[in-house]
Amino acid sequence: MRSYWFGDIDDGVCTPAQGDEDRILERCDTIRGKVDTGFVPVSVKEACDCGFFADREEYLAKLRDVTIRDARRKIVAAFSEGDAELIQMVRMLDEIDEVVNLLTEKAVEWYLVKNPGFSRKYKSMSAKRMVGVMKKEKGPLGRICAEIDALSEHRVILMRDVSKRTDALMPNCSTLVGGLVAARLMERAGGLSVLAGMPASTIQVLGAEGALFSHLRAGSPPPKHGIIFQHRRVHNAPRNVRGKVSRAVAGKLAIAAKIDYYRGEADLAFLERAQDRIDAVGEKE
Amino acid sequence: MKVIRGTIVSEGEGGVYGERMLKGCRVWDPHRSKLPAAIHNGAPLDLSSDMRVLYLGAANGTTVSHVADYVETVYAVEFAPRPMQDLIEVARRRPNIVPIMGDANRPEVYGCFVEEVDMIYQDVAQPNQADILRKNLPFLKKGGLAVLMLKARSVDVRRPSEEIAEETRTLLREIGLTITWSGTLEPFHKDHTCMLCIKEE
Repeated sequence: MRSYWFGDIDDGVCTPAQGDEDRILERCDTIRGKVDTGFVPVSVKEACDCGFFADREEYLAKLRDVTIRDARRKIVAAFSEGDAELIQMVRMLDEIDEVVNLLTEKAVEWYLVKNPGFSRKYKSMSAKRMVGVMKKEKGPLGRICAEIDALSEHRVILMRDVSKRTDALMPNCSTLVGGLVAARLMERAGGLSVLAGMPASTIQVLGAEGALFSHLRAGSPPPKHGIIFQHRRVHNAPRNVRGKVSRAVAGKLAIAAKIDYYRGEADLAFLERAQDRIDAVGEKE
Repeated sequence: MKVIRGTIVSEGEGGVYGERMLKGCRVWDPHRSKLPAAIHNGAPLDLSSDMRVLYLGAANGTTVSHVADYVETVYAVEFAPRPMQDLIEVARRRPNIVPIMGDANRPEVYGCFVEEVDMIYQDVAQPNQADILRKNLPFLKKGGLAVLMLKARSVDVRRPSEEIAEETRTLLREIGLTITWSGTLEPFHKDHTCMLCIKEE
């Protein structure tokens, strides 16, 4: 017997698939005929001869109805996994960072032209304080700096949202390296399920693709860390043990991601052991 | 293929992705799409109006929309949800595209939707590109055409692309295909090789 989306064909005997489109789709999900040398693809002529369809045009129209419905259903399923929106939030957050920095830089140049006697030297003016000062300027520069300031505030709010969501979605990773770093790792991997399937060595250099491929291609030194460098225990570690610490962090993260994805709750015993292990590596000379 | 003043075009409703129009035809830019790049580089490939095509790696449906302008029916397989959204929209305007959301690595999942085709176009950039083509060969009629767009950098980032291409050609011969043309897509696309193969009778 050969099974197709529209029904079964067995030695010239045709049995149409029963029910509405949803039922037809459910049935398609169960058809798993091996596609090998003995495989016979759909014959539209045969389907029409069976009386299922009047002609090729009708066949295609019905088939498209079914496959488009199937695709829509799968898209909804893929996007409702909870990490899809978080990925977009992380991307927006990092993009706002870039934009705020760029705009601030340009605004400062503008301010310097307007105030020839001004210099940032020796005044420890952070970018944020600079924006605060420039906001008080009259005219377009002041207005634009007020916008930059507002954007920075949105960034802070978004950052909190990202952290909160990550805490809920991946509690173990989030406890180990903080919500933001965990979210960025997940974003770079492309989803929690992908991150959970990654080996520790990949997680260790996620975000350092440039350095990794230049290592593979040209033999430059391999990267010790990617995104996980942003975690304080990696970047605060003394230089000589930094590689070791990032390896330990990545190792525990790989486990944490798997717990997050397959169990979805914080494992306190694991977290304690993991923290101890990472601390121990950091202390050793 | 329809060519106006040295530019490959296709006849159909425009505005799919902001493509330029030339005398009412849609310009098929070899810099954007690999298929016209291969034709520019001499690939003896002709799409005709009675062809049925299985297109693996349909992505946003830009190339698919041009192929659909030429042929009778395109079965367009794509796995990722985000491009699939666009592909559905393209398919809605072009009734000869059948969009299928599925993994080209697992033809048994979408096998119940696909009829026998005259041409398979394999543009899934994965390390096992040739193997994906092999898995889908049962859909291809005897004497049909298989087109592989090999992206060397997806197979191995370190080795020269000519070496990978040679290896792939050996693989294709082993699975019973006869290679009729093989060439790079330079200068349009880096590290890509296009291979046209015939499935023997």
